Amino acid sequence: MTVGAPASRPRVELAAVRALAPPLLAVLLAFAVTGVLIVAAGKNPVLAYWSLAHGAFGSWDRIAVGLNRATPYALTGVGIALCFRARVINIGGEGQLALGGLAATWVALHMVPAPRPVATLFALGGGVLAGAAWAGLAAGIRLKRGVHEVLATLLLNFVGLLIVSEALQGDLGEPGAGFPQSPLLPNASWLGRLVAGTDLHVGVLIALAAVAVAHVALWRTPFGFRLRILGASAPAAAYAGISPARALVSVMLLSGGLAGLAGAIEVLGVHYRLIDGFAHGFGFNAVAIALLGGLNPLAVLPAGLFFGFLETGAVAMQRAVGVPTPLVAVIQGLTMVFVLSAMGLTAGRRRV
Amino acid sequence: MTEFLAATVRIATPLVFTALGGILSERAGVFAVGLEGMMLAGAFAGVITAFLSGSMAAGVAASVLGGAAMAALVAVATTRFRAEQMVTGLAVNILALGLTSFLLRGLLGRGEAPTIRVSPLSPLPVPGLASVPVIGPLLFRQPVLTYLALAAAVAVFVFLMRTRSGLTLRAVGENPAAVFAGGVDPLRVRMLAVTCGGALAGVGGAVLSLQQVGTFTDAMTNGRGYLALAAIIVGRWMPFGTLLACLLFGAADALQLRVQGLRLPVSSYVIQMTPYVVSLAMLAGFGRTAQLPAAIGTAFARDRPS
Amino acid sequence: MLRMLGITKSYGAVRANRGIDLVVPPRTILGLLGENGSGKTTLMNVLFGLVSPDAGTIVFNDHPLAGHTPREALAAGIGMIHQHFMLVPAMTVTENVMLGWDAAGRWLRPAAVAERIRAASHTYGLDLEPDARVGALPLGGQQRVEIVKAILRGAELLILDEPTSSLSPPEVSGLLHVLRRLRDEGRSVIFISHKLGEVLDVCDEVVVLRDGAVAGRTRASDTDRAKLARMMVDRDVSAPVAREGGAAGAERLVVADLAANDATGVERLGGVSFSVRSGEVLAVAGVDGNGQAELVDVIAGLRRPTRGHVFVDGADVTGRGVTGRRQAGLAHVPADRHTTGLVADMTVTENLAFRDCDGPPFRRGPWLDFGAMRAAASERIARFAIRVGGPDVPARTLSGGNQQKLVLARELTRHPRVLVAAQPTRGLDPGATRFVIDEVLALRASGGAVLYVSTELEEALIVADRIAVMYRGRFAGVVRRDAVDITRLGLMMSGALTESPDAAALYGRKAP
Repeated sequence: MTVGAPASRPRVELAAVRALAPPLLAVLLAFAVTGVLIVAAGKNPVLAYWSLAHGAFGSWDRIAVGLNRATPYALTGVGIALCFRARVINIGGEGQLALGGLAATWVALHMVPAPRPVATLFALGGGVLAGAAWAGLAAGIRLKRGVHEVLATLLLNFVGLLIVSEALQGDLGEPGAGFPQSPLLPNASWLGRLVAGTDLHVGVLIALAAVAVAHVALWRTPFGFRLRILGASAPAAAYAGISPARALVSVMLLSGGLAGLAGAIEVLGVHYRLIDGFAHGFGFNAVAIALLGGLNPLAVLPAGLFFGFLETGAVAMQRAVGVPTPLVAVIQGLTMVFVLSAMGLTAGRRRV
Repeated sequence: MTEFLAATVRIATPLVFTALGGILSERAGVFAVGLEGMMLAGAFAGVITAFLSGSMAAGVAASVLGGAAMAALVAVATTRFRAEQMVTGLAVNILALGLTSFLLRGLLGRGEAPTIRVSPLSPLPVPGLASVPVIGPLLFRQPVLTYLALAAAVAVFVFLMRTRSGLTLRAVGENPAAVFAGGVDPLRVRMLAVTCGGALAGVGGAVLSLQQVGTFTDAMTNGRGYLALAAIIVGRWMPFGTLLACLLFGAADALQLRVQGLRLPVSSYVIQMTPYVVSLAMLAGFGRTAQLPAAIGTAFARDRPS
Repeated sequence: MLRMLGITKSYGAVRANRGIDLVVPPRTILGLLGENGSGKTTLMNVLFGLVSPDAGTIVFNDHPLAGHTPREALAAGIGMIHQHFMLVPAMTVTENVMLGWDAAGRWLRPAAVAERIRAASHTYGLDLEPDARVGALPLGGQQRVEIVKAILRGAELLILDEPTSSLSPPEVSGLLHVLRRLRDEGRSVIFISHKLGEVLDVCDEVVVLRDGAVAGRTRASDTDRAKLARMMVDRDVSAPVAREGGAAGAERLVVADLAANDATGVERLGGVSFSVRSGEVLAVAGVDGNGQAELVDVIAGLRRPTRGHVFVDGADVTGRGVTGRRQAGLAHVPADRHTTGLVADMTVTENLAFRDCDGPPFRRGPWLDFGAMRAAASERIARFAIRVGGPDVPARTLSGGNQQKLVLARELTRHPRVLVAAQPTRGLDPGATRFVIDEVLALRASGGAVLYVSTELEEALIVADRIAVMYRGRFAGVVRRDAVDITRLGLMMSGALTESPDAAALYGRKAP
């Protein structure tokens, strides 16, 4: 867990191995338990997992889809990791992501015609602002009214999702579509393709950049140092002159903005329109990813990729072996429980 | 009007069981974010068992076990392994969603979702009282689980406030160290409370699947577990207050179903928001003096008394 | 009644109990004396089943106790009243008494239990109202709830862990009265304390622990304070060494009419005014919990005062935060080094920098300069002789003394004008204590002003130029070093004497 930490002694590297072990163990354990389920369903788990891997990595197209899928996970997950570092339990990714997508859609549909990068940037910016505002609302309720941010963000998720439904039923909806969705967005607002001939969009690069920035911010700047102190000991943070309120607001705005950006990328890079329920599961899974990555921005990247490829591979697994896709949620849920348990057990012996 | 009230009671019933289960868990100091998953597991186990055995009683019993099994996972992770409670709850919700959908297809449907039908529990009129106008059909011509929901509210109240075990449970949620010093293992209390709470939430799921719909569909609880969580907040962690909150939410939902007919100036989605907005407003209203159990969300470790 | 033989218990490398024998006869109040960390609390936790010993046997009323739980200890007739009460503040006295009490029955009968509480309260003079919410009771009242719980459960042996540390003098004498009543009714009491006076006052026998072993046992009537003190610390308690006074210069820290409340809104600091001059140490003595913590927190900027001002070198810093005060030249050694003074899970390097990461040398533009941080860390580890594996090990791995050196190294290398040190030697061994005191005196010699809070009078006498005694949020008196009278200080600490100090005592004297 000391990836990029400012030391390179053998002892510290050993600590890194120790820190990496629990998430890996959790993943293996989850696969093992799920394997039992596959056997119970009368299928061969080895075959199922092989077709899962094949479905995830079998072709450039599959890899592109997996990377696209991992993008919102990495973005949202890295923001949540920063929050959890500072002991701000933001589980509002779901709503922040949904509103980010909504705002991006609104901007794309309502702005004056503009050439591609400009239109895309404005739409992305709209998503960032909306996500940050929604998280900021939770932070404000926390600070002004003393409602714990866990409850505030959780409850605001549902309000956010319903706002999207409401908007799609009203102004933003496509008349006569038969499904709550917006009209196709103007082409100029779409995210560019990274590799011609595949679905891979430039959002992947944005996610990579966000992870790198978060990593540097956490380990190399006074801001990150302050977050880590706050997470390690609240009294020590007060003694260091760190304002928990300011940290709460900044980290919530940051993670909300990242979630909003993820929602905007989902809309502008994958669907090209707002679809009701598009955000479903992203926010909660991102919490799992942040934890799986040990709250380390760099490690959130592989965790996000893991979830992304797991989900794209599952479709192929169902087609090839007949093992239903919901199995993925079982693996995700179990991984989360195991990681949480390992973290709980090792609390106080971790690198902060 | 009677129809509206009947719908209110119908919608509130699964919430009541689930929220009561949540009260047990939260009063013992464990956030009940996992209610959704426990409820879903209960709904699934109930309908599958009833379908395979042909016995509704067996179905309800299985829903108890299903909810309790999910809760046991939360209980062990949050007590023995001191896992963060909120996120563990979320994890169990994801797990239950995947597990029920997977089992439905993998075990019963050869890969596809099979159609499972049981005839829903029919109303059981109370002789005499059922023919009283208005109240009769509303209160005394209900399926059996609706009566049980009321009974459960009374039972949970009596247990919490009038028995020694209930006192211990509440104390664990307030100050586990005090209970430990008194010679009772607070972790055991928490595990029992969470597991029993899950059993109740499982029955809440059974109300949906066995009493109202007669089948299981993916994610059929559709956020009701979170709604129950909100009801606990609005009901201030008291059984009867929470019962009222569930009825209030049921009324909001019933109103939402009729919104087109009533030509209200708001859309159905806005009405669906009310439970969450009301909960937030209630929490914000308590502000810093919130009556949350003092030790909720905190882990307890022997040899390191908190 | 109780025989504990050869009790041994280690926590990691720390040997808290090393083969302790303890025998308590019936109808006896036994005083268990010892300094902080001498093993008293561990021994009692072993007896009560909260901690399992590595070795040793316990026999209570002819029944062996081994691997027992607190519940079994209770059932056997052992009642423990912890230093931090094990009560549920949100519940009533009756509910707290019923909690975990098998005899209360499966169904609660609050009225019947309330009646028994009233009866016991009457018998032992406990003055308890069964329907009162425990959180609303004063500490003495909460303690009496613990006592009534133990009595109603039929405890034949009561263990009281530091029972007087947060009580006012009338509450203390009330407690001692209750303990005598308990003994006269045929029960035994283990009275854990480090206050010699109370032990000699109420106990029949005294056992002294030092470094996890029995340092001596005696009848209370056969001993005196000096003998007990020597057994506890294994050294003669020294009188203040004569020292040259009058070196004091300009006022560096000025506190004017400072008042503050605790988290629940109760006033803990009730208007205190004083100043500390350059080259001077003002020690604040007093029983723990008389507003010292609040005074330190308010001066350090961790707590907002309800009124009053703090000046550092003439500048009003009342409105500034922790950072602003540090920049004004204020250093702070907090009482709780484990969670406040240090971040246990961070490295030594990070701990040496975490109060200074907002400017040079550790901050360069938007970046943290880890090179500078590590260089500074290595330099300070050498300069303060901190025994540590290297700058990259977590602070958690250091011994208590070295952790405190870490805090001092961070705070003192900044060359502060004012140092506020709260209980800086608490829990340290004599060597580390000496080190801390020497560093404080070195700062004094170089012109710094030091506010030194200590509950140990002996220590205050070593470092101080003036000694203030706090009682109930106010200064009960301020005495200059050359005019110290131990008896008077003791009376002030117990609240029996309040003097209005003259200006010279409060604000020091300018050097001639």
